Amino acid sequence: MRSEIKITLLRIGIILAVFGAWEFAPRVELIDARLLPPLSDVLATLRQLLSTAKFWSHLAATLHVTIVAFLIAVPLGAVLGILIAESRFALEVFKPLIFFIFSIPKSIFLPIFILVFGIAFWQKVAFGIFSTIFIVMMTAFAAVESVRADHLRVARSYGATTFQTVTRVYLPSMTPVLLEAVRLAMIFNFTGILLAEMYASREGIGNVIGAWGQGFQLKQLLAAILLVAGLSIIFNETIRYFERKCEHWRG
Amino acid sequence: MTTAGTLGNVDVSDLSHTYAAKGQKSKALDSISLNVETGRFLSIVGPSGCGKSSLLMMLAGLIRPTSGSIRVGGRPMEGPDPSRIGVVFQEASLYPWLTAQSNVEFPLSLRGVDKKIRQARALEALALVGLEGFANSYPHELSGGMKQRVSIARGLVQDPPILLMDEPFAALDEQTRITMGDELLRIWDKTRKTVIFVTHGLSEAIYLSDEVIVLSGRPGRILDRVEVDLPRPRTLEMMSEPRFVALREQIWRQIKS
Amino acid sequence: MSIKRKAAIVRYLLVAGLVALWEILPRAGLVPELFLPPLTKTLLAAAGGAGDLAYHLGVTLQEILVSMIFACGGGIISGLVLGASLLARRLFLPLMSGLFAVPTVVLYPLFTAWFGIGAESKIVFASAYGFLPTLLGTAAGVQTIDRHLIVVARSMGATRFQQIARVYVPATIPTVLSSLRLGGALVIVGVVVAEMLTSTAGIGFLISKYRTLLDSPNVFAAILLVLALAIAFDLLVQLLERRTVGWRHAMRSGTAGYA
Repeated sequence: MRSEIKITLLRIGIILAVFGAWEFAPRVELIDARLLPPLSDVLATLRQLLSTAKFWSHLAATLHVTIVAFLIAVPLGAVLGILIAESRFALEVFKPLIFFIFSIPKSIFLPIFILVFGIAFWQKVAFGIFSTIFIVMMTAFAAVESVRADHLRVARSYGATTFQTVTRVYLPSMTPVLLEAVRLAMIFNFTGILLAEMYASREGIGNVIGAWGQGFQLKQLLAAILLVAGLSIIFNETIRYFERKCEHWRG
Repeated sequence: MTTAGTLGNVDVSDLSHTYAAKGQKSKALDSISLNVETGRFLSIVGPSGCGKSSLLMMLAGLIRPTSGSIRVGGRPMEGPDPSRIGVVFQEASLYPWLTAQSNVEFPLSLRGVDKKIRQARALEALALVGLEGFANSYPHELSGGMKQRVSIARGLVQDPPILLMDEPFAALDEQTRITMGDELLRIWDKTRKTVIFVTHGLSEAIYLSDEVIVLSGRPGRILDRVEVDLPRPRTLEMMSEPRFVALREQIWRQIKS
Repeated sequence: MSIKRKAAIVRYLLVAGLVALWEILPRAGLVPELFLPPLTKTLLAAAGGAGDLAYHLGVTLQEILVSMIFACGGGIISGLVLGASLLARRLFLPLMSGLFAVPTVVLYPLFTAWFGIGAESKIVFASAYGFLPTLLGTAAGVQTIDRHLIVVARSMGATRFQQIARVYVPATIPTVLSSLRLGGALVIVGVVVAEMLTSTAGIGFLISKYRTLLDSPNVFAAILLVLALAIAFDLLVQLLERRTVGWRHAMRSGTAGYA
């Protein structure tokens, strides 16, 4: 137990050291402050941005796209994935295809999405869905396969109805894997949407990050990067927390 | 490849070993003393966790005991010494990127032995275990029993006077275990090395050995030394004979108490 | 006929059907050629612009190669070191896998601000993009190595150096190869995406250029080229991996398995 605390303290120490370097290196002129403004300046800029309506509208736009894409891609991918995985034949046909498509880089198709959809809301959503759906399907395959055959047999031998089998065996078995799907899906989704915004869009966090980069406005740029990083990490760790709670179900 | 004299003697004197883990000390072995003459086949049995494997690790020179001494061939054990002691573990642990022959050559190549000599010795050792035809096979192409045989060949390649075996057949199925036991006796008969064999199986221990040492649970102490006076060569039929059964009973009673 | 073969046949038919649709749908006017140029036109465009494509491909390949050295080389070495030390693992791995959640793309504008829009920013970005996953993959792989292999070497009197050089290093090769495969794929994407965003040369730049010109056949041709590149690299590493198939076999099962 004691070593656990030691390690956690050391980890916090590492993070603090990195932030400390960020703060002091530019101040003592180790690094050009125009290239890397001190952390406190960046945080001040962030606070300022968060009080501007303009910034919030960009943030809202991004979150809007992200959530819509997420809410379409995840259920759609999960349902498709489960349906395919349930049929042995369908699984044999589609699994290699899905794996193959997953392994090829999807970011390079972004220009095609722009050709087809333009640069508005639905293009970003479509690209987000495209970036996400395959990982969800693959995770759904794993989820179905993870439901142990013997657990199912036991349920069946006790005369469980389909509904009971779904709720008492499938769902608890699949929950950890489905949580993982949600976690990974969001990573791919958010990445795809930010990319779409940076590439060609008139609004959104990705768009302003790109603009600030070009305009050499590093304080705002770094502030936005911190915000994005913070949001992603919080979401990720929250899901991980729930995954850990379900871990012991996996058996 | 036969052994004579006292090179194969193993003398353990007042051996004790205490582990320190997570701030707690636990005594694994308590004042073990035993003497094994050259060419004897000795088995060590005992309940799980009684420290038999620790004893073996110490004999192999991989762990230093907290107190007591080990002398092999009259000289103390300071560290791993494959020229004196060959070790065969439960997991064959052959290197998957090497062929069977290269695996057997491995201890020799660590010492920088000349290539031609290495190859010749390795082939000899493989022939001894009956696998000369598989010299160029890779471990994943071999069955469990065959892998263990390669592991035995590897332990024998430097012609050490003593062979230590830590539950070498435990991961094999029953059929193979029996076959391997006979194989081992054939090899032992030919080379007359000192064999110290750790096992969970009482029947296996009695079947193979001249003497069975019974260890108690933690901390491991010698409960009994049972002389196995059955004639050699051993046969499977002996396992149902009254003398065999009586010996088994005797050992089992010791362990249970 | 077994299920696998039937499924394979259905799959090939599906893919063939899709390829056919690629040609037919736009030609029949069912899909605007802007959205989906016929396959033949795409291939012709590729053939026609071959010189141009070759030049930009060269630029891209250079950036990829250099980035791979940093991302894969760095990622694998750090992964091996991290994987070998329990303390380092416990300290750094959770931090690093936490960072994994952050979309790396947002760093690109930072790099262009720092390094300009030439090859340097692409290399830095792609290296950053590929580094973390490669490191995580290698560290994870190292943990699956059978520790017993080292114990056996010790029992044979191997020195510390021999244990590392003759046992640890060969044992890590399957992990290194699969990390190389992952890292390399990410580097390729990283470079091309960076080129798409802001660049004056490279395949990604071509893709963007033709998009703004609404020249669909060339857009598709350039994208196909990138895909071909990614697939070629993947197959290359798979070829290397095939030679070490037996090694993974023995490592994962650990104990003597089948009889």
